[in-house]
Amino acid sequence: MIPFFLILLASMFASLVAQHFIPPLPHIGARVLLMPIVMFYGALAMPLPGMLILVFVGGLMWDALHVQIVDGNLEVAMGWSILLYAALGAIMGGFRPLFRRGRWEIHCLLSGLCVAFIVLAEYLMITFRREPVSFVFNQEIGWRIGGAGIVALLLSPVCFFALDYLAHLVGYDPQPERKVRR
Amino acid sequence: MTRNAIAATAVAVFLVLTGFIIALSPHRTRQAQAAFLGMISPFLKGGSSVEKKYREYREGLRTLEQLESENKRLLVANKDLSATNQTLRGLETENNRLRNALKYRERAVFQLMPARVIARSPSTWYNQITIDRGKEEGLDEDMPVLTEEGLVGKTTVVSAHAAVVVLVADESCKVAANVEGTREQGIVKGERTSSNSVPVISLNYISKQAALESGQKIYTTGVGGVFPSGVLIGAVKDFKVRELEGYATVVPAVDLTTLEDVFVVVSNEK
Repeated sequence: MIPFFLILLASMFASLVAQHFIPPLPHIGARVLLMPIVMFYGALAMPLPGMLILVFVGGLMWDALHVQIVDGNLEVAMGWSILLYAALGAIMGGFRPLFRRGRWEIHCLLSGLCVAFIVLAEYLMITFRREPVSFVFNQEIGWRIGGAGIVALLLSPVCFFALDYLAHLVGYDPQPERKVRR
Repeated sequence: MTRNAIAATAVAVFLVLTGFIIALSPHRTRQAQAAFLGMISPFLKGGSSVEKKYREYREGLRTLEQLESENKRLLVANKDLSATNQTLRGLETENNRLRNALKYRERAVFQLMPARVIARSPSTWYNQITIDRGKEEGLDEDMPVLTEEGLVGKTTVVSAHAAVVVLVADESCKVAANVEGTREQGIVKGERTSSNSVPVISLNYISKQAALESGQKIYTTGVGGVFPSGVLIGAVKDFKVRELEGYATVVPAVDLTTLEDVFVVVSNEK
């Protein structure tokens, strides 16, 4: 389990770097967020302590890159992403028994929903932290939030099969009860 | 230790560590950000050079296809020569761009540090870029960043050899500005819907009677101490009136979507 856990950590870092070089989707401006897909796969494939470490590292890396200090004050405290990812990771973890039985599509569906929720939560956070507070929600913003989720939904099967392959390479089976069913 | 005890311990440790991170002061947060930027920047630089090579390869390939359609009757040797010529033309364009940048650096009244954009923020709501210069090259936080065309933004997190620049299109980057040919002064900031791909900025808190016209240029005033005065920000696109004030949509002078090379103002004196 530990080698695969290290692979997941390295994959999260690599996907965070790769995200910088993927342009936003034309017309809708939605971003391709790879790191959360890897992290959510980890949330399903790992037991609770492993999931907590993954969301901690993921949230910390994301906030370290994006938290802004405006006029000497933190716009949003570093660490809030950790709590958000942990909440979403816990929801994913709730579906772990199903995932262990071989239902891989759970990861894909939830990844799409959770990534859209992350982008929405980020938007709400900066909306209520920035002065003057004004809530704007139009089609453009909706597409950026929903678009990120749809992209995650489409990319997560690829991510799932790649990570599942790596897991088996290092002798870890994230879905052990799938064999029992066979 | 039972499974439940392990889970409870893991949750407790997680909450303590997260609480510790959330309680960090702005100064410590910036230090942590700089440390992480220092860690990730070699990978961003590597990725940037791979991306550049791929882009050049793709552009070269496209040109070759165009040449093929135009020169169906030419021999293979001629095709090779055309491709070589195209590569040289690309180098010439880059050379001219760098020459212009160098000329700007020489005639600028500020002391400038040239830097190359190595990455763009993958975030949906933050407009940031990462450049390949940092503390070791003399950069610090809140230094203005510009090109020969106008204002780009300011540095925020600075590590040893890289720095994050918040673009003028970001809502949190506020710049005191005035309008060419008028006494109107206001604050330029990005719109919340602004992104790295579609930058939207506006001039706020101007008088309702300003009646600005499309194309009027907007410059920094130097108020606030971060940005030097007289740097072009952009041009008025349209002017509108709110309940208490007037505001104008502004077209940035710099194409923020295709930035490759920028200058950091390391000192306001030459």
